Amino acid sequence: MDFIGHGNTVIQERKMNSSEARQLVEKTKQIPISSRVARECIDLAYGFFTPLIGFMNSATLNSVCQEMKLIDGTLWPIPILMDIDKSTIDKNNLKVGEKVILSYEGVPLALMDIEEIYQYEKQKIAQAVLGTTEKKHPGVMMIDQWMDYFIAGPIQLMNEPHFQPPFDRFWFTPLQLHKIFKEKNWKRIVAHQTRNVPHTGHEWLMKGAWFSANGDLSVEKLKTGILVSCIIGPKRIGDYIDEAILLTQQELNDSAYFNPDIHMVSFVLWDMRYAGPKEAILHAIIRSNLGCTHHMFGRDHAGVGSYYDPYDAHRIFDEIPEGSLSIKAIRLLEWFYCPICQEVTYSGLCGHTKERQNFSGTMIRSIIQDKVQPTRLLMRPEVFQTMMQSAEQYGFGSPFCNEKYLKERRPIFILSPVSK
Amino acid sequence: MNKIPINIWINESRYQQLCQSGLEGMTKEVLAGMKVLQIFCTEEQKDLLLKRYPQAKYDQSTTKSIELLPAEFKENLFNRIVEKKSLDVITELL
Repeated sequence: MDFIGHGNTVIQERKMNSSEARQLVEKTKQIPISSRVARECIDLAYGFFTPLIGFMNSATLNSVCQEMKLIDGTLWPIPILMDIDKSTIDKNNLKVGEKVILSYEGVPLALMDIEEIYQYEKQKIAQAVLGTTEKKHPGVMMIDQWMDYFIAGPIQLMNEPHFQPPFDRFWFTPLQLHKIFKEKNWKRIVAHQTRNVPHTGHEWLMKGAWFSANGDLSVEKLKTGILVSCIIGPKRIGDYIDEAILLTQQELNDSAYFNPDIHMVSFVLWDMRYAGPKEAILHAIIRSNLGCTHHMFGRDHAGVGSYYDPYDAHRIFDEIPEGSLSIKAIRLLEWFYCPICQEVTYSGLCGHTKERQNFSGTMIRSIIQDKVQPTRLLMRPEVFQTMMQSAEQYGFGSPFCNEKYLKERRPIFILSPVSK
Repeated sequence: MNKIPINIWINESRYQQLCQSGLEGMTKEVLAGMKVLQIFCTEEQKDLLLKRYPQAKYDQSTTKSIELLPAEFKENLFNRIVEKKSLDVITELL
């Protein structure tokens, strides 16, 4: 059975069998790729970026930057590019029309049919996508660090990644998720994007979105599910460790704060650009490829600093042409604790505006860093316990990334050697 | 004027220590029942702390407080408060 993704395109996996891969290794040039490009190769190959089948050429890049569309008119907000330096091009005498193996940490990962090798002004990309060229914006910083050339063309996975525990429990490709949703008989699936250990504000964000998504459907036999779709990508000091994010999100399910019949946890490999509204569109596209019908967007989605208004990522959905997305945005205000109501409540509903106590992610991190267990109204005790266990097991004693974790953490995935 | 808070989170054992120092009345509940003891800094002290502890952060958007200071620094701060029976300790720790 075909599953349809963004742009009304059938989701297809692009991968070859191991004997084909072995034959290619003997006769094909290999070039090294960065960890970001490796993650995006995997995304492209499994259909997370449907309808894209490879890294963008200059015409597509231009179209995405100027019109937020692919050449065929499909909505697409953020370029997917492979950067390369001149010396790699020259040393390998790379030419349009030939095939090249993209190898990650010395192991073949994917094959590219080279369609174009080109240059493009990086500042133009930053301005178009992020709305700024200020170097302190992390997305600008990322683009700025890219090498000076881009290489474009369709890719095919030669070597499937083996996800390591605990990631293996949560790795589902778009096709796998479509099948799971079908088996579960979920008719509506609302995506919750996160890079956080959940506090009760996050929990209620998901619960509120579930009510919105379920809407007019029957409540006697539930057919709406929540997909917690964690973003796994590069980390910075002070971020929650990836393992704690996944395991604590799952803990909400294991401890039945969510009915296990309507909740599951997965992840997407993605390097955040912090592009605010444009990134919100991309997140919606990716989740539509996973089979989600709804995507929740809270305050300041994918934003950073004061580059975007906290609700820009809501408003952009009013600006895109109708029918250009097959997923609906659920726009949410904040959940907070009200000491008068003595409960976690919603800013659109509770009138105790002066008394409200906002959930500050930074403040919660500070409580955890002080090794003080939050109250159960703030964080479920099982979540706290799982987080601290993850800290011991994976985080060298801390649930937050530190230098040791960044340097010595276990890899998320490994690649088996492709022997000749 | 000292106006920028550092939040020291208070668990059971810290609360008992505060009771012994007669400072339990200085705590307040800020977030879903979480007790906190607030020590106030000047703008200059805030800048100094952020420079000394680069992972620390001034949370401008919600709490307007200095967060993510190392646990050891906050532990020292708390111990000094209990020892001195006073919240006026920030200057001597900088």
